[in-house]
Amino acid sequence: MSTLDLRSADNTGNDPTRRAALVIGHHDYASVTQLVSQLAERSRTPLAWYVAFAVSAAWAGLFFLLIGYLVFTGVGVWGNNRPVGWAFDIVNFVFWVGIGHAGTLISAILFLFRQRWRTSINRAAEAMTVFAVICAAVYPGVHIGRAWLAYWLAPYPNQMQIWPNFRSPLLWDVFAVSTYFTLSLLFWYLGMIPDLATLRDRAQSRLKRFIYGVFALGWRGSARAWHVYETAYLLLAALATPLVLSVHSVVSFDFAVSVLPGWHTTIFPPYFVAGAIFSGFAMVVTLMVPARAWFGLKDLITLRHLENMNKVILATGCMVGYAYGIEFFIAWYGGNPYEQFAFLNRALGPYAWAYWIMVTCNVAVPQLLWMKSWRTTPWKMMIVAILVNVGMWFERFVIIVISLTRDFLPSNWGAYSPTWVDLGMFAGSFGLFFMLFLLFCRWLPMVAMAEVKTVLPHPEN
Amino acid sequence: MPQGSQNHSYWRSLAELSGDPQFEGFLKAEFPHAADLTGLNRRRWLQLMGASLALAAATGCRWEKEEFRPFAVRPLNRLPGVPKRYATAMDLGGMAIGLHVTSYDGRPIKVEGNPKHPHSQGATDVFAQASILELYDPERNRPLRRQGPQGTTHHTWEEFAAFVRGLLADIRGNGAKGLAILSPASSSPTLAGLRKRLTTELPNARWYEFESVSYDNLRDGARQAFGEPWRTQLDLAPAQVIVTLDADLLSQYPAAMRHARDFSQGRTAVAGKMNRLYAIEPCYSLTGAMADHRLPLSSGDVAAFAAALEEAVNALLSGKTPAPDPSPHFPFLMAVAKDLVAHSGRCVAVAGPRQPADVHATLHRLNAMLGNVGKTVSYTADPHPERPSHVEALRALAQTMQTGDVQTLVVLGGNPAYDAPGDLKFAEALKSVPTSIHLGLYEDETSRLCTWHVPQSHWLESWGDARAWDGAYSICQPLIDPLFGGHSAIELAALLLDERRTPQQLVRETFAAIARQSETEAAWARTLHDGLLAGSAAPIEKPTLLPPAPRKSAPLPNGTWTGPELEVIFSCDASVYDGRFANNAWLQELPDPLTKLAWDNALLLAPTTAERLGVRHGGVVTVCYRQQTLDAPVFVMPGMAAGCVALPLGYGRTSAGAVGGDLASGVAPVGVNANLLRHSQAVDFDGRLTLELTDRTVELATTQDHHAIDTVGQNATQQRAEVLARQATLEHYHAHPDFAQHMVHQPPLFSLWEEHQYQGRRWGMAIDLSRCVGCNACMVACQAENNVPVVGKTQVLRGREMHWLRVDRYFQGPPEAPGVIHQPVACQQCEMAPCEQVCPVAATVHSQEGLNDMVYNRCVGTRYCSNNCPYKVRRFNYLNFHKDLDDPANEVKKMAYNPEVTVRMRGVMEKCTYCVQRIQAAKILAKNRRRDLADGEIRTACQQVCPTQAIVFGDLSLPDSGVAAAHKSDRAYGMLGEMNFRPRTAYLARIRNPNPELEGPVA
Repeated sequence: MSTLDLRSADNTGNDPTRRAALVIGHHDYASVTQLVSQLAERSRTPLAWYVAFAVSAAWAGLFFLLIGYLVFTGVGVWGNNRPVGWAFDIVNFVFWVGIGHAGTLISAILFLFRQRWRTSINRAAEAMTVFAVICAAVYPGVHIGRAWLAYWLAPYPNQMQIWPNFRSPLLWDVFAVSTYFTLSLLFWYLGMIPDLATLRDRAQSRLKRFIYGVFALGWRGSARAWHVYETAYLLLAALATPLVLSVHSVVSFDFAVSVLPGWHTTIFPPYFVAGAIFSGFAMVVTLMVPARAWFGLKDLITLRHLENMNKVILATGCMVGYAYGIEFFIAWYGGNPYEQFAFLNRALGPYAWAYWIMVTCNVAVPQLLWMKSWRTTPWKMMIVAILVNVGMWFERFVIIVISLTRDFLPSNWGAYSPTWVDLGMFAGSFGLFFMLFLLFCRWLPMVAMAEVKTVLPHPEN
Repeated sequence: MPQGSQNHSYWRSLAELSGDPQFEGFLKAEFPHAADLTGLNRRRWLQLMGASLALAAATGCRWEKEEFRPFAVRPLNRLPGVPKRYATAMDLGGMAIGLHVTSYDGRPIKVEGNPKHPHSQGATDVFAQASILELYDPERNRPLRRQGPQGTTHHTWEEFAAFVRGLLADIRGNGAKGLAILSPASSSPTLAGLRKRLTTELPNARWYEFESVSYDNLRDGARQAFGEPWRTQLDLAPAQVIVTLDADLLSQYPAAMRHARDFSQGRTAVAGKMNRLYAIEPCYSLTGAMADHRLPLSSGDVAAFAAALEEAVNALLSGKTPAPDPSPHFPFLMAVAKDLVAHSGRCVAVAGPRQPADVHATLHRLNAMLGNVGKTVSYTADPHPERPSHVEALRALAQTMQTGDVQTLVVLGGNPAYDAPGDLKFAEALKSVPTSIHLGLYEDETSRLCTWHVPQSHWLESWGDARAWDGAYSICQPLIDPLFGGHSAIELAALLLDERRTPQQLVRETFAAIARQSETEAAWARTLHDGLLAGSAAPIEKPTLLPPAPRKSAPLPNGTWTGPELEVIFSCDASVYDGRFANNAWLQELPDPLTKLAWDNALLLAPTTAERLGVRHGGVVTVCYRQQTLDAPVFVMPGMAAGCVALPLGYGRTSAGAVGGDLASGVAPVGVNANLLRHSQAVDFDGRLTLELTDRTVELATTQDHHAIDTVGQNATQQRAEVLARQATLEHYHAHPDFAQHMVHQPPLFSLWEEHQYQGRRWGMAIDLSRCVGCNACMVACQAENNVPVVGKTQVLRGREMHWLRVDRYFQGPPEAPGVIHQPVACQQCEMAPCEQVCPVAATVHSQEGLNDMVYNRCVGTRYCSNNCPYKVRRFNYLNFHKDLDDPANEVKKMAYNPEVTVRMRGVMEKCTYCVQRIQAAKILAKNRRRDLADGEIRTACQQVCPTQAIVFGDLSLPDSGVAAAHKSDRAYGMLGEMNFRPRTAYLARIRNPNPELEGPVA
């Protein structure tokens, strides 16, 4: 350990004769356990964590205060209007749901495809998913005019003898998002059980031992338990895989099933899924780059992991760019003047700036990732990832708001500008997200220890 | 009882005194309350008794006792919950329209036109519709008060009457010298009779009449032409060619609604014949919007055009060819002249109320020359020929006041302190009058300066009478006791005469005189019932023309604007009139028919003029005119004549109320006050106005084109307006009668799912764009019928206005001389409604009769239906728009609501349902009477109010129903029909009848 092993420190090579190491730094089982567990076991919380937590909790508090204000005053506190019935509320909803895609994709699909590099990042990515979906789910709940009646969207037997309208994509949305959230949470938790047991076993205080013990569900690591556990994990992965594709497809139906030019597009399901993975991976990179530095996890979350994610970003970014192009082509080819105008208006209308921010961030910027240095230099990829997130937020803004501002009858055309409540809630949802993520970093195993151990390089001698 | 009890002093038995446990057990079992009778000390006793006494007394404190008195005997013809209709009339500016007012359990809630009345013919204008809101305006609730040296004191009517009698007793001796009465124009014969008596009995008293929006130029024109101020009665029904010179015949003109009806009858091209309308005007009017050819011409140039027209027609009639003129307007003039001559006796030329007398005189001669008199034009006597014009009267009064000759001024309504031309300094003069009495609906600018304010009763609250423009006599009967204890102008005038009879008795007396018969109960009852005295219209006179004064022939204007100086036009506002409706929120929120501007007025000027002056839309400019300055925002309005600015009157009220502006309570005025600029020498228009730019801008709350539009949007608007609001020339229509159905390629339409099947009725609507003049009456009628809330300027700016029915306005052609088409749009009740499919809670569903029902109780407010509505006719309650009702002072506002329609709460979507409450009411009635519904029995609020009968509603399943016929018309098309929404509202394409001689898109 005294001399630096250059070959193992840089595992980003593409030499086909060498299988790149997924964990570097000569770790063994014990050191991996130590490295990850110590983060959750620290007796003294660092001051920086408190500062970060206070800031994000304050924003989260604002988020809930503004929700209270919204519910007690009316949706009019936002900038929504006629024709723009949906604006920041649904933009943010789709944005957060999209971000929530990376976790399950990494956990489930990459698991099924035996992409073993997923093991270092899946825990954090799944946590991110759960928190992002929480942020997302708040919006549809409170954006309706009478939030106290939101439960009417649920199909339940009632004295009114009335069922929800099963033809409405919003109802499908309720099912899709709630299913996705449930499964993501289960998947995250199930994967964490062996690690929670480790924390339980290492806990120094009775309280911690008790709490971790409760959540570890009596895990003892027996061969039989492992056998059952891995079967369950595989089954959940198989269940979650279609959900990765379905959730955002269903979210896209909210738009695709409507008649609004700019929404009424059959390309939306694959386009939305690609965009969601794109934004989700960008968010994972945004979180992982600082986290691996601050928490000393560079050996586990290596540059190769980041590079792999950047490759996914590049690929999905190209798909998104292709979708943007094909939308225009179909608008022209389809010959519907209203649709043609909707796209012309995006690119050249009063909100063209939003459209070109979107195109720049989502199509142009990811092209930098063709260069290896941008894929493997943390600060460079951070720039790309943040810009991709900005671009993906604007994509939703472009689709939802710009399409609504100008639909069929020119007499209906309008404009949209957010109010301070819109902006405050948007910032507040980030506060909520980071607050939850900080709690996760502090108290839970950030890396799937048990899984990482399976990909440790075998001793060379 | 413990022996050692310190309070022990009384005992009931020896056993108790000894504390026998057996006794104690017995006592506890038998009398649990008495068991523990420890001796009360004095303090405790006093406390308890005191508290008991206080509580006993508190039972005497009650809320004010309300008494509900059931009708022990049901009044005749009255069923609780069954609406009744009464005929009455509303007077506006001295012209009455006959109305039917619907009353629910004694409270009027809806105004409709009286079909028998010649002026309304069953329709109304926006002002009559909105008067319901005025009736229940809590700000009318102001006490009768006196402002004297002792401060403000409140009085009863009796005290006030005693004061007036005392005052008159003092001055009666000298013929009431120093008494002046200022009244607004009124057509009431009863009031006119009182006025006559007053000037006889009190010879030195002076009576003045003033209206800010006055039609006195018409009188003066007739006086100039005939020597007498004859009233012109127009009949547009036989007119084949109509020429208007700065005249808004269809909305701001005497008997405008009747003209709109007659005009629209000639627009349907059913018999292949259509009338043709030429409009020459400086600012866009609704008449200009309907014109086949419109020439933007500044007001000052209209006189020259009229003179040239007279000469050209004269020359053509005598077989000569008029001398050519280099003016670019000459071809237009010639085309008009030829068309007039070709239709001699079947044409009419009319000048507007803003044009000076000689233009009117010219057109009287022109009409006579063309043989129109007795056909399209006839004359009746003016009811008050000797009175001076309004502005002269006010000037005379102001001068008398300034010299101190007026000791007592009685203002019988009106608001001269606000609407008098600025140069008269009326408000200052009013302050110097020792005793001033203002009768007014509101505490307004005038009453604030008067020593007495007397609350006026609303016309729905008081007895009166009125005459229509043609003289038809109506009785105004009250529908409700004065809500706030007001009194009418008749009552106050009667008080000045010490007349003790009630207004009703006075009206009956007038009625007897007019009916020229002994006033029988039956005749009175019939007139009340009909709302009109049959045969009471003024007789047609045949005046003779005076020889025209010699006139220097002025050249035709060359159509260019050179100077930096502009012409200013003070126009009557389409929403608040002269400002009297400024506190009416329905009208304030009603967008102007052409600018679509709500809650504001602005300086309207043409795009080219704006460009030359370097002013921008929404920019604030300082207007300099006759040493007066005023800051006002600019509204760039296509179709304005170059070098003209129009500034609507009626805004900038400082004491209107919480809606229209009240500086005393911190409510900023709505818009700017044009009266400050107005000069009594030029109340209508004048040159010499200059603009100075400021760097301020304001947001103008328009309900259409919410923001400056870019090129991409403008191009699309132009393309779409053609297919959304379809129109063609008569020639094209004759060649291609089904052109409307082929303007858009309609592919074969398939539906994804099983379509609705309709067994019985299928409600449908048809809107004839050829007839619609865009007057907005339907919007207010819908608002009144359906309890549609008002949202205010900030919410309109955000695009959250709630009108269920809106009137879209599209310009087409060049911005200097564009054409305008209006298109009313409400819910189209699509058979394949996109809104229904996306509502997650099934709050909007299809009825078996094809209505797109809205279930307010079920709506949770996702707004998805609105997003998916291609017509964007759904309205969302973004906030609690009924918050004003929380204030107990506003309780009275609730009386204005239609009890048949739910008042929607915040967070709920709402929209038009073809007045489903009216449908249900008619269905129930028909079912109870075991008969079928007749076609036309159900009329939606918008249909009923429409002055041009542009809207037809009915059952499409009846092959011979009016609506089915309209749907089968070759002009019928469904808006966005190619998208397979299957709208139940069909539009009938507009047919225009341009003059083939005039090429190019002049209109």
